[in-house]
Amino acid sequence: MIKRYRTVAHLKSRECARAIRIEDPALAGRLTAMGVLPGSLIEMIRPAPFGQTYYIKADGVRLALRKEEAQNILVEA
Amino acid sequence: MKAPSPTRVRTIALVGNPNSGKSTLFNLLTGLRQKTGNFPGITVDLKEGRLRLPGGAEVVLTDLPGAYSLYPTSTDERMVAAILSHPDNPHYPDALIYVADVTHLEKHLLLLTQLLDLQIPVLLVLNMADTANSLGLKVHPNKLSEQLGIPVVSISSRTGENLSKLLSEIEKLLDGVKLPSKGFYSLTEVEKKLSDAVRLNTQIDNPYQALLLAHHYSWLPGLSESLRREIDAIVRDKQFNSLKHQVEETLDRYDHFTPIVREAVQYPPRFPSTVTDRIDAVLTHRWIGPAVFAVVMLLVFQAIYDWSALPMDLIEAAFSEGSNFLGAHLPEHWATGLLLDGILAGLSGVLVFVPQIAVLFFLITLLEEVGYMARVVFMFDRFMRRFGMNGRSIVSLISGGACAVPAIMSTRTIGNWKERLITILVTPFITCSARIPVYVILIGLVVPAQKVWGIFSLQSLTFAGMYVIGIASALGSGYVLKQLFRTRERSYLALELPVYRLPHWRNLWLTVWEKVRAFAIEAGRIILVISVILWALANFGPGTSLQEAQNKALAEARLQALSPEQTQNLVATYRLEASYAGQIGRHFEPLIRPLGYDWKIGIALFSSLAAREVFTGTLAVLYQLGDAESAVAERGENTAKATLRRRMQAEKFSDTGRPVYTLATAFSLLVFYALAMQCMSTLAVVRRETGSWKWPILQFAGMTLLAYLAAWAVYNVFI
Repeated sequence: MIKRYRTVAHLKSRECARAIRIEDPALAGRLTAMGVLPGSLIEMIRPAPFGQTYYIKADGVRLALRKEEAQNILVEA
Repeated sequence: MKAPSPTRVRTIALVGNPNSGKSTLFNLLTGLRQKTGNFPGITVDLKEGRLRLPGGAEVVLTDLPGAYSLYPTSTDERMVAAILSHPDNPHYPDALIYVADVTHLEKHLLLLTQLLDLQIPVLLVLNMADTANSLGLKVHPNKLSEQLGIPVVSISSRTGENLSKLLSEIEKLLDGVKLPSKGFYSLTEVEKKLSDAVRLNTQIDNPYQALLLAHHYSWLPGLSESLRREIDAIVRDKQFNSLKHQVEETLDRYDHFTPIVREAVQYPPRFPSTVTDRIDAVLTHRWIGPAVFAVVMLLVFQAIYDWSALPMDLIEAAFSEGSNFLGAHLPEHWATGLLLDGILAGLSGVLVFVPQIAVLFFLITLLEEVGYMARVVFMFDRFMRRFGMNGRSIVSLISGGACAVPAIMSTRTIGNWKERLITILVTPFITCSARIPVYVILIGLVVPAQKVWGIFSLQSLTFAGMYVIGIASALGSGYVLKQLFRTRERSYLALELPVYRLPHWRNLWLTVWEKVRAFAIEAGRIILVISVILWALANFGPGTSLQEAQNKALAEARLQALSPEQTQNLVATYRLEASYAGQIGRHFEPLIRPLGYDWKIGIALFSSLAAREVFTGTLAVLYQLGDAESAVAERGENTAKATLRRRMQAEKFSDTGRPVYTLATAFSLLVFYALAMQCMSTLAVVRRETGSWKWPILQFAGMTLLAYLAAWAVYNVFI
């Protein structure tokens, strides 16, 4: 499958991008409540020791996200 | 709405996002005048405290769990939504204090705007004013107050800044009963129709509250079946997509309050690279992070032993002295026995673990307070998910190293039911305080005190091995349960990693106090009751069998010309053999013989059902140690340990004449104690947390069967 969008899971360490939208509605409910919004500036900090989990900043707020969660946040290319 | 009546004590609820400093403010306002209520029907405990206002009136302050939104994604958040969605809820407050971290105000006002629409009188507290100053943030509470239409107070719960102003504002809020003038969110056409339909069917007047009912009716407690069906029909009729509307509403709220925050708070041009970022570069590093965690855990468990040894000795000494004193001065009567060997022994068995539990929870809470535990959750989430749990389970499992009772209560932060249930079911495998005395005496008995590679003692290594067995069986059974349970419920991590900060000592002490109380009350009362029952079983027997046993012992003693003390011991042994406890032990002997145990160990296993540590005490009685000796022997120390050990070494099977305590029997016992579910207190808490007897019964059966098979295997390998 060709990926037309980039997601937060594609970001490299220290890379920033603006979120466009969150795909999964249930997850969107949780993430928006925590302040990850369309237009938020997302910065990838580092992956977790066992992988599959990311340490990110959304508008300066530090968050831990699973890979499935990060893959649902689309960012500007 | 509840009618404000002058006689009723009014309640104020504290609400706010996780990490807003809400609980710190609660502790600051109520101090020790708080208690954790255990309310039927809700799985989360509410903390309540009394607060006296400047005018003299007393109000009840409730600390609701941290929540981001009234659309919940965890058990904690569900409770907040449940309490505030329906005025009929018994905890529906008269007013609200909303606590927000002023340094993250843009992310912390969502829930407040939802509360504004509920028309409950609310006060906004801007917390962490001290941090805001040092970050160069300029805050204008007046502008916020004007825009939101509610009072706003800027405080620091760390320094206590502006606290008296907060108190007088609370008073004004309660006196004025002035509802917020305007709503915040305008319902869409679909939502309005839905809300109107719900309002027609209920007493609810508030449009947003009616909308919440339409979102939450399927799980909201306290709704009548007929109302649930009616709302269900309405929702289906309007083809209402709850999730989609939740997200759209949330985004709409952000659009409206973000400009308000931007105007009221002036952020510095850019936040400097903070201390937190630099610390996290090390503590969450790919390789260094887990290594640091391992070292921290070693230090924590080392501290448990080092710090709690002295208070434990003091508690034991006090009980043994007190018991001796009373024994010497009270008349010889069964009631004296009940007091000394039933009640006092039970109490001592509870209190002796308090130091270890206090130390472990002090350290866990310290790590949580400074913000480290959130990083542990982040680092180990992936690892724990392989075993059917999630990152948050780690905190519960570590707590299980002290006592499974508070550990299981701490699983409430786990949102996903399957992961929470697995954590609850496997936590009792972790080596808790009560197993330690059993391990100490058995290892001291059979493992030679020699060094391996010159530095490690073989006994310590075996001891460490017992911890490994505990952890491995917890993870292993988690893995098995993960395959067995099916769920469609989503599991989230999405966790905020708070800024590192110095601990609030007050929070720390109060949390430790709360956990120790949970242990003493939840576990303690059951241990006490079983201790009394066991005393009765050991001191009464069918018919006149006890008297007969005593006569027989006395006759034998006369024949052998035993000393008075020896005679007394012989009488005690014969009586115990003839008692109900002895009969139960003998009854079970065929069942436990394949594991290498005799009937005396059977009695000890049976009495361990109260709590495992009873094992050593029971054996001390069975092997005829004096009372004073047995009290010390429970910790397996000093001369009493040596005495008990000598008696145990000399013990032989009555039929075959072979020694009972061989390496095989001892290892078999060690494994049995590591794996078996022998703690009634834990089962009671599991029943409360899971809401049914099904899980504690399965847990008991599963763990005990596993223990039996493993002990049998170990016995047959070593024999």
